[in-house]
Amino acid sequence: MNPIPIPEDRHFRPRLLGYDPQKSRPWLERLVYSAYVFVFWLIVIGTYAGVPALFEALGWNAGWGFVLMRALQVVLLFLLSAVIALLLILVLRKYLGKVQERYGPMHYGPAGGIQTVFDALKLLAKEDFVPAAADVLTFRLAPAVTFVASFAMFAVVPFASGWVLADTNVGLIYLIAVSTLSAYGVLLGGVSSGNKWALIGALRAGAQMVSYEIPLALVFLTVAVWAGSLSLGRIVDAQLGLWNVLPLALSFVLYVIASLAELKHIPFDFPEAESELIAGYNVEYSGMSFAFFFLAEFVELFLLPALIVVFFFGGWHGPLFGLEPGSLAAGALESLYFTVKTAVWVWIFLWIRATLPRYRDDQLMEFAWKAMIPLALFGLVLAAYLRLIWR
Amino acid sequence: MSLLQEVWQAVKAIGTGMATVHKRVYEDAPTEFYPYVKPDLPPVSVQSLALVENEDGSERCIVCLQCERACPAQVITIERHRNPEGKGFLIDRFDIDLVNCMYCAACVEACPVSSIVTIQDFEMSTYDLQTLKADIDFLHEQARRARQWYSPKFGVELRTEDGRIEKAPPEMQPGGLAELLKPAEEVDS
Amino acid sequence: MSTMSLEPVRGRTDEMIVNMGPQHPATHGVLRVVLGLEGERITRAVPHIGYLHRNHEKIEEARSYPQVIAYTDRMDYVSGTQNELPFVLAVEDMLGIEVPDRAKKIRTMFFELYRLASHLVWMGTAMLDLGAISPFLYTFWDREIILGIVEKTAGARMLPNYYTFGGVRRDVHPDFFKDTADFLDHMERRMVDYEHLVLESPVVHARTIGVGVLSKERAIARGVSGPVLRASGVAYDVRKAFPYDAYPDVEFEIPTSPDGDTYARFWVRFQEMYQSIRILRQLVELTPKTGPHKGKAPARIKPPAGERYRAVENSRGELGVLVVSDGTDKPYRVKHRGAAFSNLQIVPDLFVGAKFSDSIAILSSLDPVFGEIDR
Ligand code: SF4
Ligand code: SF4
Repeated sequence: MNPIPIPEDRHFRPRLLGYDPQKSRPWLERLVYSAYVFVFWLIVIGTYAGVPALFEALGWNAGWGFVLMRALQVVLLFLLSAVIALLLILVLRKYLGKVQERYGPMHYGPAGGIQTVFDALKLLAKEDFVPAAADVLTFRLAPAVTFVASFAMFAVVPFASGWVLADTNVGLIYLIAVSTLSAYGVLLGGVSSGNKWALIGALRAGAQMVSYEIPLALVFLTVAVWAGSLSLGRIVDAQLGLWNVLPLALSFVLYVIASLAELKHIPFDFPEAESELIAGYNVEYSGMSFAFFFLAEFVELFLLPALIVVFFFGGWHGPLFGLEPGSLAAGALESLYFTVKTAVWVWIFLWIRATLPRYRDDQLMEFAWKAMIPLALFGLVLAAYLRLIWR
Repeated sequence: MSLLQEVWQAVKAIGTGMATVHKRVYEDAPTEFYPYVKPDLPPVSVQSLALVENEDGSERCIVCLQCERACPAQVITIERHRNPEGKGFLIDRFDIDLVNCMYCAACVEACPVSSIVTIQDFEMSTYDLQTLKADIDFLHEQARRARQWYSPKFGVELRTEDGRIEKAPPEMQPGGLAELLKPAEEVDS
Repeated sequence: MSTMSLEPVRGRTDEMIVNMGPQHPATHGVLRVVLGLEGERITRAVPHIGYLHRNHEKIEEARSYPQVIAYTDRMDYVSGTQNELPFVLAVEDMLGIEVPDRAKKIRTMFFELYRLASHLVWMGTAMLDLGAISPFLYTFWDREIILGIVEKTAGARMLPNYYTFGGVRRDVHPDFFKDTADFLDHMERRMVDYEHLVLESPVVHARTIGVGVLSKERAIARGVSGPVLRASGVAYDVRKAFPYDAYPDVEFEIPTSPDGDTYARFWVRFQEMYQSIRILRQLVELTPKTGPHKGKAPARIKPPAGERYRAVENSRGELGVLVVSDGTDKPYRVKHRGAAFSNLQIVPDLFVGAKFSDSIAILSSLDPVFGEIDR
């Protein structure tokens, strides 16, 4: 009588891999999330203390051996940036979930702890599509430019005293040069996509860059004047007694605003503005190329708060409990302080992201040119004056 | 001075906004863990349709075609013939196209004997829409699986463990305050 | 006519024609606007509708009167029962059906609950368009509570098919009044949060004040209604001008704003939510707990030949219906006057000259629902 049988398995049954949120195991969840942080910390220690110690023991710390050592460190840092991206995406989704009266990822791993690993695998497995209208070479190059520019910032960021790849005495200038480059990747990617939305996004990115870069550079200058050096290590050292945030409060506020703009973070996320430009400059990207834009974004989401900590919150400084400065234990502890301070700032950025809507792009430009630049100049003069009479 | 005040106002407003958002961290999310925990739907909830049989397995439907006439989407198709022995009609065909049905429950309202009823089984997702073109077996099966159903004439009915059909007690009836208060008044008088 | 043309103007290289929608995330469904952009500035805007057309009015001619009610629901799908009311009122008028007082009050309560639900959806999506994600999820959870209350009584959440000629289909659930009172308490607490997140936010101020100004004369000339009209300073509200159901029995005000900009439209909707809460509070007290929920209506609805126009003030403005009867049990013609449809006419006026980002804010302040616009 019935030509079509009533389907038996109409009812959903949880799959094996699915983690039943009803049977929550808080210790396991904490374990997974701490594992990320622990791996992060371990890679930091390995990069800055382990590898040099190894090469010293092998006697290869000169000539080509030194080059090899640096190369190994860079590979480890690439690993670190992958861990940062995995962790930050997870934390972003969990935190946004928490403040938005939902849970965020729940099913893969305890409390969604390995969700981002699967997401990354999915992105890798997807087709890397190039639209017919795109300029292929530029289109392919753009994510690399963005990622390399963000990644290159790692070179001068000190995780603890002496734990830095290149403590050059032009660290700040290098930072300005490199951080500007990442906007070029966005610009190239948007223009070469052959999509009008991407083009608008790219042009917005360009307009945004010329507005925030100048106050940002002026704040860098202020910090340099106050510390008397362009090297990031010295800047941190100079804050031993007093964190810069107090004397340079004005510059600090400007720096936070400018780095929000540099991150293309709400309230200044004009180049991608999902609800206006759909996804802006990366609308045509998929698969691996998109993953690199994403990776770059989250590496910057770690590095810019890290720079706030370096410039204004005493970098790695914190009580050492009698550990001998320069030893491995002291370095590990210092890098922990640095990480915790950075984590607080990352959290504040995420918090802003959860709260605020988006400004209009010309409002940022107006604000940057008419308010931030004069204020940054004023801050610079103030810092120079204070430094003259105080130190 | 007013500029400074404006800036202060803006900073304060952003701060209040951020505090408002952050408040949620300390509250539990109201999310339902759906596939693990089935939601508790009110008995009147129209999720699907079913055709109830009597306890002895005979047809409740008297094939009066009221539901077919009432249906706004015109998805009910009934064919009948006269019962050779005895009164009334017998069903030849009773199809409801649950794909195009708009779950307005007009058919349930029209039915004089509460044969066609609404049930709370909402898990109808399928890979093949053809499986939702319900014929009479499908509708009977839906009713047999259901533990309770609703129709405006009889209110909520329950299927007990041993297969009997009972009218639900008044506190389970959603028929409105009037119906709820009636037994209480009777007790008083 | 150059503003209506989609062709690129010959010899103009500074203008870029972009196609916003119908799959654009901020067009609230399936609006398509063809924009001429000069940098970020909009030079031309041509809206295209009809991607959700389902031929409602023609289908309704082929259905009997009670069946039409189920179809009217499907127009403005975020404000549920509000769509049923004008049709029900018009047919009641033609037949001279008496509606019991209690049924009127229950109808009004559902009407105002759905107004709250609709404005909550508007708030969430408008903030999403402006770039804030959190309010969207908060408002949808509050709307969930309203839909839960409705489902307990009417059996469905968004398209309840609840009103009928002479009253409502079924008496309210015993918990209805208590649930509603509890929800109003909850809502009053949440409104404080929404004020912080939406009305007081400096970013919202920057994005909306002075953006998309609609003058009073223009608003009247274009036939807009509802919050959009009241934000331009015209205190026209069908609930006051042509009262229906229980509105004469309750006290409320019509919030208006003289500014006519996007912020004013935000503000007016906010104040309307407060007024809805106020109306509901009064009705929870006023409505008799027991009594008839439905008046006497003939078994077969056959209005005498003639026609009748009735309008109600739904969440988006004046929602009217013209029913023409030829004496049979099916309407000869049903013409809906959609509020969102009329409000959408001002899109080209407001878009041209605005920034591209502004266009998103303006569109969300009009709160279009495409089920009703395309019908
Ligand atoms: S619920 Fe409505 S549409 Fe579905 S079969 Fe019944 S009357 Fe027809
Ligand atoms: S209205 Fe009820 S009794 Fe009549 S045909 Fe339909 S299901 Fe059967």
